[in-house]
Amino acid sequence: MSMHTTLRRTAATLPSSTSTILPSSQIITSQSKSTTFVCSQCRHATLLRRPKRPYTFTQLITLSDGSAFTHRTSSPAPVYRSTRDTRNSLLWNPSSSKLMNVEDDEAGRLAAFRARFGRSFDASVPAAEADPDAKKAAVEAAKAQELADQEEEDNLLDLISSFGQQEAPLTEKEKGKGKKH
Amino acid sequence: MAAREPSRYLARALPRAFAPSARPQAFLGRRNVSDEAPARRLSDQLEDLETSSSLSAPVSDADAKSFDPIARSKARKTQLPRSRYQFRSPKYDRGPLHPHQPPVPSDPSSRLFVPGPFALPRAEQTYNSTVASDILTLCYVHTPPGFKAPVKASRLREWDDSSPYHKNRPLRGPRGGDVLRLLRKPIKFNNIPKIERITIHSYVKNAASDHSGWLHVAGIAVQAISNVRVETFKSKSSVATWSIVPGRDTVAVKAELQGENMYHFLGKLIDVVLPRIKDWPGVKGSSGDSSGNITFGLEPEQVALFPEIEVNYDMYPPKMIPGCHITLHTTAKADKDARLLLSAMGIPFYGKIIH
Repeated sequence: MSMHTTLRRTAATLPSSTSTILPSSQIITSQSKSTTFVCSQCRHATLLRRPKRPYTFTQLITLSDGSAFTHRTSSPAPVYRSTRDTRNSLLWNPSSSKLMNVEDDEAGRLAAFRARFGRSFDASVPAAEADPDAKKAAVEAAKAQELADQEEEDNLLDLISSFGQQEAPLTEKEKGKGKKH
Repeated sequence: MAAREPSRYLARALPRAFAPSARPQAFLGRRNVSDEAPARRLSDQLEDLETSSSLSAPVSDADAKSFDPIARSKARKTQLPRSRYQFRSPKYDRGPLHPHQPPVPSDPSSRLFVPGPFALPRAEQTYNSTVASDILTLCYVHTPPGFKAPVKASRLREWDDSSPYHKNRPLRGPRGGDVLRLLRKPIKFNNIPKIERITIHSYVKNAASDHSGWLHVAGIAVQAISNVRVETFKSKSSVATWSIVPGRDTVAVKAELQGENMYHFLGKLIDVVLPRIKDWPGVKGSSGDSSGNITFGLEPEQVALFPEIEVNYDMYPPKMIPGCHITLHTTAKADKDARLLLSAMGIPFYGKIIH
């Protein structure tokens, strides 16, 4: 912080109550006593201040993939291990499937569950997306919905286990329905 | 007359003038009648000069033999006081006419000397080895040989001479505001945009209404993350809701980073701090001052993610850790180039990119 204050020691030595009327001899004696060293800066001499630099240490930064580099820092810790950095954050690796929060739903169980119990935010999305996976999931969800209408008494496990067997007729039904609409 | 003065002095000083000639002021090319006055005649003044050099005076052998500085220093019993052999720069600069001049700041004996750089930062190496050549390639515009760029109209408009008062008026500014934007020249090998300096600025509103501890904590926190002493600033504008009076309240701290410090800070910011921010979308694509300087802000909890603050987090009162604005000043003349540079260095941008 550069809060420089000029030292004004002369002010302190002057009599504090100058407003009160004092005999002139007293004033003279008090002024002659002030032998304080005057330390304030004057106009014709600029003080050359030494630049202040904080102490810095050399620190080794180890990134999450094991790569390391050194830098100068004011932190005294010699090694800094980072758990989250550019190597494993999604913003810097947008195409990394490892970092993307993708659910693998090969059997369609999650989609089926969502189709039955999904509400506003996880309701099955309309099949407008061009993504083939999403389309497939949507079709499956629709099938599951139909199944659910047919046999509401059955539990969820039965419903899913009977998925593959009724696939062919159901798709026809579905197509017919879609044409009607 | 004043323009002829130096050449007259030159004529006096030149030894050629010693030679008697019919026209001693031949250098002038012009004579005045007043030059021939007896008080100003050149030949009279030249007679006052000594003809022999002082260096040609002989040195006596006794003097030459008695001069033996090595023997003198060996004969000395005690070491000389430090002031006899070490130069100390004057503490005050007393102006250009003072005989005791301080040395230049790049001189190690100067009081203003800052040593360094001590390391070649990783971000700077990345810039030199990869980013600079990439930018040069990306910004290359091919022009076939013999191509001449069409002449652009002058940016300042002329006055139509509809009024006689238009005569000798200075030119009008551009249409739609009188701000002349920076000229963007084609990027060649010698003007590849680079990062010039980084400014970390923190406005502490509680410093005025509350105690000055806020400002001290903010200053130390900014110094810790930047390795640079901060400057404090008083408010210029009045904010009644925060009870800030202009000129009275010291409310802001700023650190200016250049050179090595700047690259260390940038590397740390990009590699360690920004990825740790939760749900950070990046720097907004519309930020920038349209002349190549990009600014973004960090919240207090994001500033606390810096390793320097994290390592002794307990030192800082948690509510006093400041947020800050970080301005990346580049030598690019347009925000487009600055964003290209910064995204190559690893700063992500989001939203609509406005150039």
